Amino acid sequence: MSLLLNLLGPRRGFEGGLFMPEFKAATARRPIENITADRALFVPLRLAESWQTDIVVSQGERVVRGQRLATACDGRSAHVHAPTSGTIAQFGRVWTPREGYLPCAILEPDGRNESVPRSLAWMSDSFVGQLTDRGVISPSPLAPAAEVLRRASAAGVTELIVSAMETEPYLTADLRTLVEQPGRLIDMTCEIADALGVARALFAMPYRHRRVVKRVTAEAQGRYVEVAALSNRYPQCHPVMLVKTLLDREVPPGGSPLDVGAVVIPLAMVRMAAEAIIDDIPVTHATITVAGDAVEHAGTYRVPVGTPLRALCDRVGLLGPVGQCVWGGPLTGISITRDDAVITADTSAILLFSEFEAREPVPCIHCGWCIEDCPVGVDPALLAQLESESSTDALTVAHLRACIDCGLCSHVCPASLPLSATIQRSRRRLVPGASAAEGGA
Amino acid sequence: MKADLAIQEAQWVPRAAPHRHGGSTHVDVMGSWTLAAGIVGLCGAVLFGPAAAKVLLLAMLAGIGADFVVGYARGRPVVGGLSHASLTGLLLGLTLPATVPWYVPAIGAMVAVVFGKALFGGLGHFVWQPALVGRVIIQIVFWPTLSLGGDNATAPVLAPGHLLIGRLEPAVQVDMPGYTGWQRLPRPDEPALRMERPVSALRAFAEGHIPPDGDLLYTPLLRDRLPPWEDTVFGTVPGPIGATCVLALIVAGLYLIYRGFLRWQLPTAMLAAAGLAAALLPIESGGGDGWDWFPVFAVEQGRAVGVAYVLYHVTAGELMLGAFLLAGDMTTTPMRARGQIVFAAGVGVLTVFMRLYGVLEGECYWSILVMNTLVGVIDRRTKRDVLGMEPA
Repeated sequence: MSLLLNLLGPRRGFEGGLFMPEFKAATARRPIENITADRALFVPLRLAESWQTDIVVSQGERVVRGQRLATACDGRSAHVHAPTSGTIAQFGRVWTPREGYLPCAILEPDGRNESVPRSLAWMSDSFVGQLTDRGVISPSPLAPAAEVLRRASAAGVTELIVSAMETEPYLTADLRTLVEQPGRLIDMTCEIADALGVARALFAMPYRHRRVVKRVTAEAQGRYVEVAALSNRYPQCHPVMLVKTLLDREVPPGGSPLDVGAVVIPLAMVRMAAEAIIDDIPVTHATITVAGDAVEHAGTYRVPVGTPLRALCDRVGLLGPVGQCVWGGPLTGISITRDDAVITADTSAILLFSEFEAREPVPCIHCGWCIEDCPVGVDPALLAQLESESSTDALTVAHLRACIDCGLCSHVCPASLPLSATIQRSRRRLVPGASAAEGGA
Repeated sequence: MKADLAIQEAQWVPRAAPHRHGGSTHVDVMGSWTLAAGIVGLCGAVLFGPAAAKVLLLAMLAGIGADFVVGYARGRPVVGGLSHASLTGLLLGLTLPATVPWYVPAIGAMVAVVFGKALFGGLGHFVWQPALVGRVIIQIVFWPTLSLGGDNATAPVLAPGHLLIGRLEPAVQVDMPGYTGWQRLPRPDEPALRMERPVSALRAFAEGHIPPDGDLLYTPLLRDRLPPWEDTVFGTVPGPIGATCVLALIVAGLYLIYRGFLRWQLPTAMLAAAGLAAALLPIESGGGDGWDWFPVFAVEQGRAVGVAYVLYHVTAGELMLGAFLLAGDMTTTPMRARGQIVFAAGVGVLTVFMRLYGVLEGECYWSILVMNTLVGVIDRRTKRDVLGMEPA
């Protein structure tokens, strides 16, 4: 019976969405590989333009792995640590896909990879304090882990959802982490649930990988983490959709799961927390999927923060010229326009495609696919017509805010209309106080 | 080393997400629809011979030519023009009988492309299915050629042994009461058979022109006026080129459904609604002495004639062509599946209603145009609930 239920999958869920071709075969079976730093690292000294950090090293100074390079000035920023041992050659600036130019420290590795002795005095005793000390962050929304937990506590959440759903094509970093270290992830989920004092802790993962689900379920046996195996219909990975599927609560337009008493934490944050707390390693590496048809050795890699894209490409090998480079998933990612971009701690994937997929848009042919597939139920074709409007009514504003930027409408559009990009632009223009990242929280 | 150079010299263009597209473009959509219509057209060419092929070809060429002229007049090529214009021409050709003079499909396709499509602003902007706009306009203009009465009371179909290459004239008149079916017929010398269209017989029956035989109401129709039912499925009955071969239409429709360019709900709802309407709506029971409701339950001489009557309504006439090829046009149907169910059910009921009580010929075409007009209303009434908002 349970096998049958497993095969059929859960019935609950959201309306719309789409089962995507996965393109994960090349990377899903390869273990996570460590990439060692052998060339200069351009370590960003803060992760966002708005963060404030003080540099605590000087030029020419020798640093060891895990030594702090910059310290956060307030709770909204995170510390930055050295990914390997070496010398600070100089300070400069570096281009990151999400935030543009950021100040960086150029670290020349000495190849010895010495680490900080473990008895340093910066060990705080509290769980949240340890997360802060080791610079743990949450990639989406981009914030320090401690800040995420603080906001959740302030909102009085009763449910914690850890999202290991990677429903976007190509991405396998979370899947590989689940395969290789399920116990640590469950342990850390329990720790986070303890810190938040939530009533329920849910661990969402795709039921498609049944053996992984079995292992994680076995690890969670007797703990108070519930493993929820969900269909991998895109965008099930989105927090709003997870809350809808798991808790049957609807997040108001433009809101976040915090508004309905739940907090959704990406697996990447749990993974970093596990490294920080269990292994006592600060956040110095990013576990990312490098895939795409231009990559020779596609796989999941543990890359030192600050590795330039060029060095990464040399390491994984390229099959030919790269026509397009994407930071993140193929549906929600950011296009990389410069080859001197670096890997930051919040990177989830680098996708290198041999061709730039450009299609000439034609007029809408009213196929209705965007409406049928929209996970929140707005009419993307109608919202895209707001491009030429200067103002709009309250209902349309609510619809603009309800859009979660999953990109499905543009993805399926047979007329190749840039629907989701137009909706994002219209929201920035027409919705007062809306940021580009709204809805993605 | 070469690969390394490739990335160093890369100049990547910024673009908003998503970075990968789904499989289908409008070219795939048009191509699949053209292929589906082509399957039906091929069967029509087999059943009606070179005359049908000529009509289809002329309609397609005229459609493409008209599109070209429109593009020239507007000073820029029409977007997606060639594929859509040829599809429109092909669909128009499928709605015409193979016996029409050469200028009818040519003018029809031009009217369809110019008045049905270009005047509304081209691809994606028209309100009514362009091929059907052309069809009903030429039906009015060329009334003597396209009407079902008068000289056109009977129409030809190729005889056994003369498929694909036979000419439609000269034809031998078939004696319907003794007709046991196309397949059981020996190969005649004349290349074609001339008989009444099944849909004309159904209309005559609904108007009370087929007198009852004693207390038998349906038997005279089924026995004396209609060919065997399987003939209407295989398509060996007279009628429009694309409308007679139900098997080909089902194959074409299943292909479109498989490709995802036609929602299965639409033909299903349309045929179910038409069948239901034919099963329930009353017919005049001869001599004007009242109405006979619920024909589906009629049993005469121990035979379920009512069921046969309903089956004829579903397979005879243009209903199948409408359900699988004409009504499903993306631009002129509601966006959502449930809207399409309402739309298609409306088309089905209207078709049978007009066939039973109306005077307009080509009832399926008119019904689709009527329901096309209501698409805006249906779309407004079948909006989705937005996540996190009160239902409007």
